[in-house]
Amino acid sequence: MSKKYIPTIGIECHVQLCTKTKLFSEVDNDARLKEPNTCVSPVDYALPGMLPRLNREAVSYAVRAGLALNSHINLESRFDRKHYFYPDLPKGYQITQMYQPIIGAGYVELPDGTRVGIEHAHLEEDAGKLSHESSYSLVDLNRAGTPLVEIVSDPDIHSAAHARDYAKELWRLMTYAGVTFGDLYNGNMRFDVNVSIAEEGAKELGTRAEVKNLNSFRSVERAVEYEIKRQTKLLEKGKKVIQETRGWSDATGETTSQRSKEVAADYRYMPEPDVPPIRLDERVVEAERAKIPKMPADYRQEFSQILGADTLEILLDYQSLIEKLDELGDHAAVKKIANLFSSVLLAEENASLLNDELPTKDQLLTLVEMNTKNELSSTATKEVFLKFFDPEMHFKDTRTIAKELGVIQENDLGALEAIVDAVLAKDETKQAQADYRAGQEKVLGFLVGQVMKESRGKANPSAVQEILRTELK
Amino acid sequence: MEVNQEVIAHLAELSNFALTEAESAHLVTDLNGIINYISQLDELNTDHVEPTYQVFEMENIWRDDEILPQEADPDQLLALTKAVEGHQIKVPKVL
Repeated sequence: MSKKYIPTIGIECHVQLCTKTKLFSEVDNDARLKEPNTCVSPVDYALPGMLPRLNREAVSYAVRAGLALNSHINLESRFDRKHYFYPDLPKGYQITQMYQPIIGAGYVELPDGTRVGIEHAHLEEDAGKLSHESSYSLVDLNRAGTPLVEIVSDPDIHSAAHARDYAKELWRLMTYAGVTFGDLYNGNMRFDVNVSIAEEGAKELGTRAEVKNLNSFRSVERAVEYEIKRQTKLLEKGKKVIQETRGWSDATGETTSQRSKEVAADYRYMPEPDVPPIRLDERVVEAERAKIPKMPADYRQEFSQILGADTLEILLDYQSLIEKLDELGDHAAVKKIANLFSSVLLAEENASLLNDELPTKDQLLTLVEMNTKNELSSTATKEVFLKFFDPEMHFKDTRTIAKELGVIQENDLGALEAIVDAVLAKDETKQAQADYRAGQEKVLGFLVGQVMKESRGKANPSAVQEILRTELK
Repeated sequence: MEVNQEVIAHLAELSNFALTEAESAHLVTDLNGIINYISQLDELNTDHVEPTYQVFEMENIWRDDEILPQEADPDQLLALTKAVEGHQIKVPKVL
């Protein structure tokens, strides 16, 4: 019988902060769609004599990020130099926080309630971007010096699915808190996963391999899955796992060895003398706390009785949507609109509409009211809802849109009876009336259809059916 | 700590320095001299003494988050490099 192995996973996540300028220089920090080496300063090039100039806003963002992680904020923190020689970093060292990071221990709660501990998180500068050609490499320093918060988890994760949930929850926490654009395609958040496996019941963890630079939740999950399989195979064959850094390929779905992990001492950490320490006042922390909006955990608590977990988790990916639902207040309305958002809007072909302005609270509440009063059928409700995202229509009120679409149902019984009578007076319906009276239930559908046609689709079909049944008794 | 050829070779590797044997031997002598001199500090009892990060006792030296013109513009900076391709800095192949 084969042994059972328990995986243990820790994740480091680099979050690019969306400050206007870089961590240590006053140049544009948003390099998306910019020509290489245009957002740069003499500091980023490490010209002789240049001194780093700390961005106060980056410190504030780091505090807010820490609060979003339920972390202790260290009022006193310092910077250190981490030395390594590579062309993405002209100084030859990265300014980071090795010994006294700004963010202390905290935790992240996953959708299923599992808690993943945060060991600490620190502020540091990003390195430049390298592209490798066949016989040389190219360096773009646009993102060299971008402020990062590196979030280090405890090794609390034990499955690929939880690794994915954790990565996604971090993305939600950081984007809700507003400290990053959270644009994964542009590398705003990057994940390194440490994976090891050990026999069930073993006292010590196994040797870990680190897979670096994952930039999607899916690749986090797949890389962990692959590593668990790879390491299990090795151990089952009586071989050993080597402590090393591995790279991930989305194309092959495999990790490959990159280099043996340098031991910590090789980075020759030393205090950074050019950046004096940070000493924060409690008031700074409280000011950042006040900027934190309702977070996913708050919404889970608030909406768990109203919405199914699946719907809720889909909606939580869109902060503006969930805020809009919260604004509605009324539970029944929240449920109806949540279903419209998730079934109509987030359906593949309509998700892009979300970039546009969201409907107003008034539009949504009127929509729910008209639907509840049977003025709008469920099909018509969806139709009107979609028009809320139409640039030609979105500024109009719900009733006007419904009128223009001609989808308001006729519920006035007197008016409906008149239409029914007109239809029953027609020769072509006589045979059907006789058939119905003779017990053929099915022909009722034909008669309802005739009435709908006569009303040009505006009659409420269930009301029409009721009237027909009464009249044909 | 004693600095020998091996330590120098390791440091040179980490810093990507190509040292001749003569340079390496020189550095062994020099660095050992420096370290011996500094090591006089080991005679002091430094228990309960905070490490010195910087000597001016400054803190919170920071600036506002505003884009400002720099002492040199991006093209001047790029012109300082040895080789350029497509506005990127061209360097020997690394991986």
